[in-house]
Amino acid sequence: MNFLSKYLSWAAGVLALLIALIFAMPDGKIRGFDASGFGGLPILEGGRVKPLDSVARNSLLVIHSRQGFRHEGRMVGPDEWMLDVLFRPNVADQHAIFVIDDLELLGLIGAKQTNSRNYFSFADLSSHLEEIQKQASAAQPTPPQKRTRFQNAIVNLFDRVYLYYKLRNTLQLAGSPGIGWELQSLGTPEAAHRHQDLSQLAHFRILPPNVGAGPEGWLNIGEALAFANAGSGVHPGLVPLAKLNAAYLAGDAPSFNAALAEMNSVVNTLKPGALGHALNELVFNRAQPFFVGLSIYFVAFLVLCISWIYKPEILRPTAYALLFSGAIVHTLGLAARIILMGRPPVTNLYSSAVFVGWGAVILGLIVERMYRRGFGTAVAAAAGFVSLIVAQNLGTDGDTMGMMVAVLDSNFWLATHVVTITIGYSGTFLAGAIAIAYALKKHLSAKTDPVTDKALADMAYGIICFALFFSFVGTVLGGIWADQSWGRFWGWDPKENGALLIVLWIAIILHARWAGYIGERGIMMMAIFGNVITALSWFGVNMLGVGLHSYGFMDKAFWALTGFCAIQLIFMAICYAPRRFWVSQS
Amino acid sequence: MIKTYASRAWTFLKSFQLTIVLLALLMCLVLFCTLAQVEMGTQGAVNAYMRSFIVWNQPLLLRLPFPGGALVGLLLTLNLIAKTMDIQRTWAKAGMWLVHAGMVVLFAGEFVAGMMQVDTNLSIEVGQTVNFVQSYKQMELAIIDVTDPNWDEVYSVPDTLLSKGGAVAIPGTPITLNVKKFYANAELSNQAPGALPSLATAGVGAGVSIVERPVVSADNEMNQTSAFVEPVAGGRSYGTWLASVAIGVPQNFTHEGRTYTLAMRLHRQYLPYTFTLKQFRHDVYPGTNIPKNFSSLVQVVNPSRNESREVLIYMNQPLRYEGKTFYQASFGKNDTLSVLSVVENPGWLLPYISCVLVSLGLLVHFTIVLRRSMKRRPDQKEV
Repeated sequence: MNFLSKYLSWAAGVLALLIALIFAMPDGKIRGFDASGFGGLPILEGGRVKPLDSVARNSLLVIHSRQGFRHEGRMVGPDEWMLDVLFRPNVADQHAIFVIDDLELLGLIGAKQTNSRNYFSFADLSSHLEEIQKQASAAQPTPPQKRTRFQNAIVNLFDRVYLYYKLRNTLQLAGSPGIGWELQSLGTPEAAHRHQDLSQLAHFRILPPNVGAGPEGWLNIGEALAFANAGSGVHPGLVPLAKLNAAYLAGDAPSFNAALAEMNSVVNTLKPGALGHALNELVFNRAQPFFVGLSIYFVAFLVLCISWIYKPEILRPTAYALLFSGAIVHTLGLAARIILMGRPPVTNLYSSAVFVGWGAVILGLIVERMYRRGFGTAVAAAAGFVSLIVAQNLGTDGDTMGMMVAVLDSNFWLATHVVTITIGYSGTFLAGAIAIAYALKKHLSAKTDPVTDKALADMAYGIICFALFFSFVGTVLGGIWADQSWGRFWGWDPKENGALLIVLWIAIILHARWAGYIGERGIMMMAIFGNVITALSWFGVNMLGVGLHSYGFMDKAFWALTGFCAIQLIFMAICYAPRRFWVSQS
Repeated sequence: MIKTYASRAWTFLKSFQLTIVLLALLMCLVLFCTLAQVEMGTQGAVNAYMRSFIVWNQPLLLRLPFPGGALVGLLLTLNLIAKTMDIQRTWAKAGMWLVHAGMVVLFAGEFVAGMMQVDTNLSIEVGQTVNFVQSYKQMELAIIDVTDPNWDEVYSVPDTLLSKGGAVAIPGTPITLNVKKFYANAELSNQAPGALPSLATAGVGAGVSIVERPVVSADNEMNQTSAFVEPVAGGRSYGTWLASVAIGVPQNFTHEGRTYTLAMRLHRQYLPYTFTLKQFRHDVYPGTNIPKNFSSLVQVVNPSRNESREVLIYMNQPLRYEGKTFYQASFGKNDTLSVLSVVENPGWLLPYISCVLVSLGLLVHFTIVLRRSMKRRPDQKEV
């Protein structure tokens, strides 16, 4: 039995990994077109070379809030959508992808709010473009924190429409016959004018630089056509792109795929390595390791909860194995991101959430190895799941792996200060989660179990000490970074203060324990409050600028944070509730 | 009797209760200071909450008194010192000892910074040579002897002295300045017809209306400091002038063949060396406006040290020179103007020492604790 349960549990873990692998597999061809291969073409956008697929996913996420949409009863993925936007704008214009929730905005574009239809196509919006632009440029001078809900919504809509508008005018001017026609009409009187429009509107640069040129040598179609017009030769990438364009319009899949191979070989000659790098990122995009990871954590948590009432000897190791495979996927995703970006793991709020979750899961795995009571697994799975959910919601503009602004452009400090402080967050959250588990167990478990209680208290205490070390070192390293770049060690800036609050709170917990003022339950309650402090210093300070005038998009995050804090206070009350409320006493 | 009081005080100072109460108070202060920054700006909030002994009259605290950061910090330092001395000098407590000693150093560093740190900046255009740093907020009234076209002799009166009013003798010159009225912040406008005549009888101030404004402290706002002054020399008045930050044109008067300019400006500190900006770079990532780097190539010339060398100041790479640290802070005028922020803090090294002590201490202590609990764990499993 023991042997069997062991194999069964690890089989479950392997199965989860296999499912994760399926996500990374390439999609089939769409109507015979190798859309996925097209998405693997490297382009330059946002300061770095990435696959077209990344631009497609992030643009669709920005415009539509999802990475795919349903059209005529079929799911359209980002690569196929991008093909339509680039080569068949008249088709793409009909896709209802613009989400508009704001009622005032719906009123502006003349839609009735009676039906639940708040998805619009570019064609629907096209008659209101002037009005949208007028309203948006009136709202833009107001700083984002001070805008009204409507102003925020209109600026946001304008940005999305403008992004779409740029995309559909990146490879060809929308409505023109295409790249092939542009190549034929070089030297005609109107051509130069069109080339200028194209190079100004282009959202990305698709033509690799000539051998030896730096990254600023990437060209967009307009620039390349202008060079050709001036007699400096036709860029070798223009012809295969023109063929791709023509084949896609004609619905000729075999020629499209042949032209794609031709384009790939042009890229390989001009910029060896770019294609490989782009394909790696394409696999990363497709695998969605953080989404898969959070799903596995969720299953692990469910399995563990069931294990408390049914067949613990099989289900508890299964949950552990699942957590372990979730951690593998999470780790691989994190590692891939580090390699692709060439940066330490935490570079923005989104990646900090991914990393906090990772730290909590790894800590939880260690704690579970040490105590083997299932609590480490439960808490780690819950913490991993919640933080990845938070990350998914933070990345509403897509994880573009954007470039670091000058002051942050320091791998050394990103690797030391940011990583240590984020591990500190992981620690306080994990301690808080253990404390919540402790509080709930007191009320739900039918028998008193001082040994487990003691074990939980030991875990929480150990992790609090761990968190103190990392929070303190992280905070001081932050001070030293500030001293290096702004000339003062400590400036009482909101973010610094947030970090300090965590350190002070942990110091209070530890001193109160050493002095004997608090016992097991006191530590647990204070650890739960640590969740509040950490969440406030992590996200609260980002909202401070918004403060009293919190309108629009931060509204949602603000309420989420308030809700989180309120729930923690309820858990504290549960933890504090006297013995007569415990199940085990009745 | 005295001994019991002393020992009671000692017991109080080293008590855990005091530590916890002070830490909790500090948490409250940090929280208030953070929230107050929305309205008051960072500097204003820090001065009100952290650099004061008693916080008084703050709307956030319903105008009730609250112990300020300086008081809490001082008590915490005493508590910390008492605690540190009280910790047994055994190897088992070595980690704790290091942590608390490190904290004492950290607090000392913050005190030194609070008391002695001077923040200024240095704006310099490409090709320009500058030999002074200027304050962010503090003003001065400069009386500049511009008679010699090659050399300006500068005499200045700080705003703190101007605000007291009365007569101010300018040392080194025959001039005495009568400060008739001082505005820490004011708004100037062209005088409307029929308005009350200006106090000024000379210079552009005669045609200007002035209204007092509340002092601003937010980081991105600047006070339009102004004053009506009457230079008197050799028993002769040279009229009443309006000197203001808002007035850009030079206002001159001549006494016994020497020409003096009156100018209200940000307080300047002249340096015994000069900076010449040779090149300013503002790099962006390809195809974007995201800044990748800012750097200033500066020629430092110091006659007293017989030194002339080039220094590249860029992000995260400041120049530490003669007790001052120069950081790349800002830029302007189409990338031809570079702004360096300048900090003088004699205690800048203390946090570094503290960081090493505390990290080491925590590491040592938690290792000791972990080893102890690991040794205990096997017997627990039997239960």
